[in-house]
Amino acid sequence: MPDPVRVRDWNAASLTIAFGIATVLAAIVLIAPSIVILITSFTDSASLKFPPSGYSLRWYRALADADQMQTAALNSLIVAIWTTALSVVLGTGAAVAVSRSRGWKARLLDGLFMSPLLLPALAFGFAALIFIYRIGLRPNLPLLVLGHVIVCVPFVIRTTLAALAQLDPALADASLSLGATHAETFRRITLPLIGRGIGAGGFLAFMASFDNVPVSLFLADERTEVLPIHLWQQIETNLDVRTAAASGVIIVATLILMALAERFAGLTSQMR
Amino acid sequence: MAAAGHDVQIDHVSHRFADYVAVDDVSLTIDGGGLVALLGPSGCGKSTLLRIIAGFIAQSSGRILFDGAPVDHLPANRRGVGIVFQNYALFPHMTVRDNVAYGLRAQKWERDDIGPRVEEMLRRVHMAQFADRFPKQLSGGQQQRVALARCLATDPKVLLLDEPFAALDKNLRFDMQVEVKRLQHEYGITTIMVTHDQEEALAMADRIAVMSRGRLEQVASPTEIYDRPATLFVNQFVGSTNLLRGELLAQDSNGALVRLDDGTALRAADSKGLMPGAKVVVAVRPEGLVLSDNAVEGARPGRIKTVMPLGPQVAYDIETEDGAALKAVVARSGASGLREADSIVHVAPVSPAACNIFAIE
Ligand SMILES: Nc1ncnc2c1ncn2[C@@H]1O[C@H](COP(=O)(O)OP(=O)(O)OP(=O)(O)O)[C@@H](O)[C@H]1O
Ligand SMILES: [Mg+2]
Repeated sequence: MPDPVRVRDWNAASLTIAFGIATVLAAIVLIAPSIVILITSFTDSASLKFPPSGYSLRWYRALADADQMQTAALNSLIVAIWTTALSVVLGTGAAVAVSRSRGWKARLLDGLFMSPLLLPALAFGFAALIFIYRIGLRPNLPLLVLGHVIVCVPFVIRTTLAALAQLDPALADASLSLGATHAETFRRITLPLIGRGIGAGGFLAFMASFDNVPVSLFLADERTEVLPIHLWQQIETNLDVRTAAASGVIIVATLILMALAERFAGLTSQMR
Repeated sequence: MAAAGHDVQIDHVSHRFADYVAVDDVSLTIDGGGLVALLGPSGCGKSTLLRIIAGFIAQSSGRILFDGAPVDHLPANRRGVGIVFQNYALFPHMTVRDNVAYGLRAQKWERDDIGPRVEEMLRRVHMAQFADRFPKQLSGGQQQRVALARCLATDPKVLLLDEPFAALDKNLRFDMQVEVKRLQHEYGITTIMVTHDQEEALAMADRIAVMSRGRLEQVASPTEIYDRPATLFVNQFVGSTNLLRGELLAQDSNGALVRLDDGTALRAADSKGLMPGAKVVVAVRPEGLVLSDNAVEGARPGRIKTVMPLGPQVAYDIETEDGAALKAVVARSGASGLREADSIVHVAPVSPAACNIFAIE
């Protein structure tokens, strides 16, 4: 059969071009800052001028001696790992509960768990701080993690709910009718099949926790200073070029993590 | 292996979703080893009834009994009911072998017994060479075989098939029908098969239960359902039929005399206890009509609109003088040959037994 003759449709074509331009612009706006900071981090001068007059690795070498920054990075890592672990466990449980409930109950639960995504995190951080003082506590690491969990768990719930929606309910029925208990069914059928969705949510939660500022601002004490806040202070006080190098490390690490997640879990397909 | 299957009794079971009655006072007894087809239009409650028997949902009222003992308190995983779903519901992350082994592992079979059992089941459904494939890599018919093997491996008391062949094309469907019937017979397992394909029900089942809007209309053998449908619904749902309106003139022990609206008189073998004067509709199957060239008693003249030779039979579409359309199917005897389109014929029922009368509500 011959190919149908393609009708030249200028309307459709101009729409495609318009969308194309918008996409390219969006990409530039999204990516350009990262590229600028990456290039700046290789400067050989002590200023954050762009473009740099010369290139060197001196600021990356300087990172090795930046004790405070390293401590902050370690804190951020610890907080992010705890946050991710807790978010995955709690978020999966919540998503399963939401997916099993019907009608207004489901919508209420869904809205409740999603609200941290919509409410300003700044307001939440402030409110949490006041609350903590009211019940006689002071900011500390576990409370910081808890605060992060509250704003990060919605990511896990979202992706897990999406994965659960894709799951054929007949699979669980089949498993039960073959004699498996509910617990076995969850472990051997449901969990493996929604694992990628949970993983994608965990990845998002990790990233959200690692660069969270608003909650950390209120809930971190002096000893648990986290990386984003430390970097901010360095820039504010002395335009420290090491912050550019630290940003470079974060950008590259993120890219590697994303590539791995995409490779092993099909990350982007889980976020739709 | 149990030679005789387990009796299944559905005792006045009803189920409502919110205020919608999906299953309405259904009672049905199936003897061990029997194969009953649940036949009915979409949405009549067939799947709901199966889900109740399997224990996935709890009925609003009534009881389910296996071998005379109620099983309503048993959750789905302790009922011993095997179910094959319309979409097979194979576990996509497991190989064919692991799918079949799943139930055996769940039921804590001895590790050493599982392997041989899985191989045996796969051989029985001719899937041994695909043991290491994943469900995605199989055709519909192959998936359906695996689903059957997975289900039968654990020796369920009762086998439920929810439209198991709906996704298969016609040839494959026939092969699988034969196969399932063979396995079912071999295992002597009591089986309930949901279908809305009447030919499938007629071909496979010992008995057919016709459902409509949550209620059982009739439970009987395939021939009984076809030849002596209890209700007009069954008559119309199973096979095709001609409906002729009229009035009951007289009834006696030999049957009923009906005057059709166009004036012809007609005898039916069973008056169904209707009283003279009742408005009735007479149902005659296409093969229950004879065509003749001459006007005989009780025949109405008509013009042949279309002729459809169906191999050994011929179907005629006939328009009577008052504009009614009749469908007749007659055997093609060598002598008579085909009738021509547009020719005039006289149509009459073969016998009073071919006419079923129903009251018009
Ligand atoms: N979970 C549910 N909630 C509310 N109503 C339901 C539910 N499941 C089924 N129903 C309704 O109950 C009726 C019977 O459904 P069921 O699935 O048993 O039909 P069916 O006979 O299997 O139809 P089909 O041949 O299309 O599969 C339908 O009208 C359906 O809308
Ligand atoms: Mg159904």
